[in-house]
Amino acid sequence: MTVPGLHVRLAVADPVRRRGLAAMLAAAGHTVVDDAADVVLCDLLPGSTPPPEAEAPVLALTDGPAPELLAGVLPRAVEQEQLDAGLRAVAAGLVVRGPGAAPVIGFRAAEDFPPLTPREVEVLSLVGQGLTNKAVARRLGISVHTVKFHLEALFAKLEATSRAEAVAKGLRGGVIEV
Amino acid sequence: MTDLLEQFSTALADRIAAAAPCVVAIGTGRRHVSGMLWRPDVVVTSAQELPDRPEFKLRRAGEETTARLAGRDPGTNVAVLRLAQPIEAAPPVAASAAPRVGTLALLVGADDTGAPTGRLGMVHATGPEWHSQAGGRIDALLRLDVRLGADEGGPVLDAAGGLLGMSTAGPRRRALVIPAATIERALDPLLAEGRIARGWLGVGLQPVTVPDSLREAAGRDSGMMVVNLAVGGPAAAAGVLPGDIMLDLDGTPVRRARALAAAMGPERIGQSVTLRLLRAGALQTLAVVIAARPTG
Repeated sequence: MTVPGLHVRLAVADPVRRRGLAAMLAAAGHTVVDDAADVVLCDLLPGSTPPPEAEAPVLALTDGPAPELLAGVLPRAVEQEQLDAGLRAVAAGLVVRGPGAAPVIGFRAAEDFPPLTPREVEVLSLVGQGLTNKAVARRLGISVHTVKFHLEALFAKLEATSRAEAVAKGLRGGVIEV
Repeated sequence: MTDLLEQFSTALADRIAAAAPCVVAIGTGRRHVSGMLWRPDVVVTSAQELPDRPEFKLRRAGEETTARLAGRDPGTNVAVLRLAQPIEAAPPVAASAAPRVGTLALLVGADDTGAPTGRLGMVHATGPEWHSQAGGRIDALLRLDVRLGADEGGPVLDAAGGLLGMSTAGPRRRALVIPAATIERALDPLLAEGRIARGWLGVGLQPVTVPDSLREAAGRDSGMMVVNLAVGGPAAAAGVLPGDIMLDLDGTPVRRARALAAAMGPERIGQSVTLRLLRAGALQTLAVVIAARPTG
């Protein structure tokens, strides 16, 4: 492989977390730098503010609501492959969101979504973990064709046009916490 | 001699100017949000825009002051700040008539120096009492035809200058109004305890259909599946498991998210409820004691 690595500034204070992320970056062929970075990678904890994007596009790792203004937002428990792909995409000027990343969704009514079948809930939660149709099929012991069938039914019920939208509407929007 | 349009324009500007003294800018880090003086030492703002911090810097007409977060209620989106130094400015009086669809609404906010901003909208839709996804009861539905910026959290006035409530960004930042009555109801509990108590089972529920083969036994064709279970929560303590499908709560069918949210009022805390549920194809009955929803 001769894909050149990126220069990444790690805006992470916790030394243990920093070491873990640095190891993931090194494994993907990236270099941790202090300035002249291609991308800034930060942990975004509740109440903290991300570094400004003026220096370089920011990829934030957070489990909270995704700030609209950032180039990249991925969950804190990001896999190395997703992190690598996310960093490269953000460095190339694209916007990156994890499948379940809820933007600041706004204040809304407790909506009554159409009920899903228990199987549809399973399929949706696996898709929400970033699994491909093939991986979902393997996990549930059903055919890829059946997974696609469930997803089409989900898209229609939830009036969603993308996997991310289906997950956001079906799992985040449909779930009520009581 | 001025024509109708100029008179109209001047009247709008006068309304905004009259409300301006009770509007403040609240720093939230990178951006700011608006708030309104509700009492001399109390500022009301939009809870969803406030980061979790004990203290905030406020600006009003260019002057800076500080306020302590006294409480917030995600259910009604009301956050209350207590000012270090009271400010004497009369808030707008409550609107005398219920807003009608098609009437004008004036949204007053603050820029980052605390100077007033104005926005003109129309009442887009009205409706009866509703429940938010976060479990709060809102006294009336009031949707406007504008999108909000940093003026969120500021007062919304009717054409007579009467206060309708606080502006709040809904999905895609479309403006909703939290009615003054809802704010008034939340205010004292928030000042006293910092939050609004709500009943809590400690489960995340997803509406699902009951599989065909179990419909007869369940007596229902839909229920709500447990997809999240709070560790140590009341439902977990009672033996509820992820994947259980809740059918009834005290004999009432559990079918709609809205009805369930409405059934978790503060008066239910400490009460025991009977859950009828489907687990692995069999009916089960469990007793759960409703607890108070933890903060955060």
